[in-house]
Amino acid sequence: MSAARAGAALPLIELTAIDKSFVPQRPVLRRVDFDVRPGEIHALLGENGAGKSTLMNILIGLVRANAGAIEISGRPVDLARFGPSAAARAGISMVHQHSTLVPAMSVEENLCFADPSGGLLFDRRRAASRLAELSQRYQLDVPPGARVEDLSVGQRQRAEILRALDRGARLLILDEPTAALTPGETAALFPALRRLRASGRGVVFISHKLDEVEALADRVTVLRRGAVSGTLAAGELDARELGRLMLGRDLSALERPSASGGERSSPLMRLRGLSAAGLGGGCGLHDVDLAVHRGEIVGVAGIDGNGQRELEEVLAGVRRMDSGSLEVDGKPVRPHVRTLRSLGVSHLSGDRERAGLIPGFSLTENWILKASHSDERFFSHGLLRAATASEATRVAIAHFDITPADAAADVATLSGGNAQKLAVARELSGEPRLLVAVNPTRGLDVGSTRFVHEQLLALRARAAAVLLISTELDEVLLLADRCVALSRGRVHAIPADADRAAIGAIMLGGQGA
Amino acid sequence: MTGWWPRGLARRHVVERFASDTLRAAGAVLFASLIAGVVIAALGFSPVEAIRALLAGSLIGPAALTATLLKTGPLLLTGLAVALCFRCGVWNIGAEGQLYAGALLATLVATRWLVGAPAVLVLPCLILAGALGGALWAAIAGALRVMRGVNEVISTILLNFVAIQLVSLAVHGPLQESAGAYPQSDALAQAARLPELARIHLGIPIAVLLALAGSFLLFHTAAGFRMRAVGLSPVAARFAGIVPERQLLLTICLAGALAGLAGAFEVSGVTGRLFESLSPGYGYTAIAVALLARLHPLAVVPSAFFFGVLEAGGGAMQREAGVPAVATDLVKGIVILLSIGFAAGVGGVRRVGPVARAPTSLSGPQADGEVL
Ligand SMILES: Nc1ncnc2c1ncn2[C@@H]1O[C@H](COP(=O)(O)OP(=O)(O)OP(=O)(O)O)[C@@H](O)[C@H]1O
Ligand SMILES: [Mg+2]
Repeated sequence: MSAARAGAALPLIELTAIDKSFVPQRPVLRRVDFDVRPGEIHALLGENGAGKSTLMNILIGLVRANAGAIEISGRPVDLARFGPSAAARAGISMVHQHSTLVPAMSVEENLCFADPSGGLLFDRRRAASRLAELSQRYQLDVPPGARVEDLSVGQRQRAEILRALDRGARLLILDEPTAALTPGETAALFPALRRLRASGRGVVFISHKLDEVEALADRVTVLRRGAVSGTLAAGELDARELGRLMLGRDLSALERPSASGGERSSPLMRLRGLSAAGLGGGCGLHDVDLAVHRGEIVGVAGIDGNGQRELEEVLAGVRRMDSGSLEVDGKPVRPHVRTLRSLGVSHLSGDRERAGLIPGFSLTENWILKASHSDERFFSHGLLRAATASEATRVAIAHFDITPADAAADVATLSGGNAQKLAVARELSGEPRLLVAVNPTRGLDVGSTRFVHEQLLALRARAAAVLLISTELDEVLLLADRCVALSRGRVHAIPADADRAAIGAIMLGGQGA
Repeated sequence: MTGWWPRGLARRHVVERFASDTLRAAGAVLFASLIAGVVIAALGFSPVEAIRALLAGSLIGPAALTATLLKTGPLLLTGLAVALCFRCGVWNIGAEGQLYAGALLATLVATRWLVGAPAVLVLPCLILAGALGGALWAAIAGALRVMRGVNEVISTILLNFVAIQLVSLAVHGPLQESAGAYPQSDALAQAARLPELARIHLGIPIAVLLALAGSFLLFHTAAGFRMRAVGLSPVAARFAGIVPERQLLLTICLAGALAGLAGAFEVSGVTGRLFESLSPGYGYTAIAVALLARLHPLAVVPSAFFFGVLEAGGGAMQREAGVPAVATDLVKGIVILLSIGFAAGVGGVRRVGPVARAPTSLSGPQADGEVL
């Protein structure tokens, strides 16, 4: 133990030699040491499936370790008795990677229940004013009164963060809190976390975005395949170094092959004057014109909650258009899931837990989910061809490096990033002519993000069209041939030479070209 | 093919899951029996004597075994009906009413419309009428849910009472026996009685075959795949081009047909007449049957047999050991609680879970206003 360490206050929490496996012979964590001191932001990094969420779930008592010890403020904890309520009593709270809000309740109700200071009765007015105050203070915008299930992924994420901040925890764990936030919101979150640090609390911050970690963390622990591959102090941080620790190799810059070109005359898909009602008090879509050509990636930038979900649902064929028309190959199409699929339009959902994948189904069953009406590969004469299906799934698992490499495993047991890889792999598999991809790399680690970007560019090179709806401005700028911004349900063109500030202004105000 | 499991989809997992499910079910049964034994002892009876009487009335000797199998038949069909519905996220509590509706229509065919017809005509018609009656009855609840958003838990329970009253009305009025002495229908003609072997009527092997068919449907067909998808996540299913409303209607009608079949088999295979208390609550016990089977159609067979033992042995226990038959109801109740409790550990409740959320999720994004 170093001198500096000995001088510091007792760690808020200390985990020693934690072992965990869910399935025998498949260790998820191997002798992991991890601690958080008061007044520090400790970042936890690692590839998809490295065991970050599992380690944090052990820390808050949701998952029980097989071996190891936990100490809270220097006092050993009885592992067998350590559960979520014990963790809550110890002042530990967590923003989970996947929403844990009650879908049928409003945000206010979600904020109030399990709140020790709340009293027995639910006071709607007080709850509403507190939500307003919290949104204001942390600059995280959540529509008041809306039911959680009507919220977008980003709005749910913001509500979840507000709930955790509101609890005033001594140790706050944030598992990929920024995955569904825009850069602006992320920037607003950081001062709040720094204030927590200044008041002597501990923060664990998990992210795949190395620049965020660099900007925020005092210490970084990197997990690799379930074991700690290094713990670094703030001074030693460097994104390249971190990447190497995580991946065991360097990443070269993304190569952007030139587009296949030509054929710009007729768009593959065109929306004209699309209007659609909003969800849960959302803004809806107004008079949206949008075209995507073959061999082109069109980026739709914008802050989540500005009509992204409505646009996605119309193009997925599950939302009615109030007015306007959709054309594919110049012919008008009634947007309907199966019609669109048969025309080669593929949809990668931005909400993988709710709309993209089915937890409780195996990887194979999720792989064939969208084929149940087509009488081709996985179903013939109304019968399920299980052998063909699991073979196809195994190929995808190998190609996309999904862990666990087990086609029969329940998707609910995959790590967030691995579930995302499965969803991406499925939508890319059918050689789509148009891919509507919403936040395709949400929750992916650096290496997998790179891989998916390459796949999207490869698709474009094969003369397919991609509509990239992303809250990740960097991603849009990196991949798209042409960008528009979606703001309050309207589409605004982004000039090719606009800088980030100009784009930000267009995204916020909608006054642009 | 070595089994009805989703071959290749999850071979190893299925084996593991099967072992753990069987263990859990056995645990639930044992634990419930234990508690019932304690209660019986506390009431001042001898548990040993009670169990002896229960087994003597249900398993020991051909007569007892026959009695058990005759109870197993309807429990199997209604249990299957409930299991299929729960798999698709539909809380069908109405198997009892669907059973009565099937019995009613079957009796109508046998005692009013096809009197004097030969067996080759009457029997198939009667069986079809039973299935149709149950399906139509279930369709009411399905349609209410899809078109008006009426929670099917409520509607199916209420429809049970309506169906029971309807049968009562029929046997006091239009369907009453010509003799007019009792509130019951005419006896079915011999041609309208199911063939039987040692009192085991044809309906029982048919029920077992239907359990096999149900398993095949769920795990080996596109239709069953869609049903399961909707049961786990109606929203994701809709994004995959599946119309949850359609699956819901289809499933509840199929379930109604199975329960209605149970009613037709009772009338034609066991009682020979329709009367008011035709079913001792098979359609309610069916929920316990399905839950103990952890919603697997094949497991419904042993599960129904277990409840058949309770049903047949409970009476004997009362007659011979003096233990009130409610003791068997106690076992039933505890088994239900334990099966749900055990299920909670491993996502079984998640499997049943979307049901509770279903009303809201169905009102989610609509496919072009299309409902069917
Ligand atoms: N309940 C479970 N049953 C079986 N395996 C599980 C379960 N939960 C997690 N795992 C496995 O443990 C491993 C680590 O998962 P974990 O969610 O901790 O990863 P992670 O580091 O958070 O990854 P990501 O960045 O993708 O979120 C994965 O391989 C996952 O499949
Ligand atoms: Mg994770």
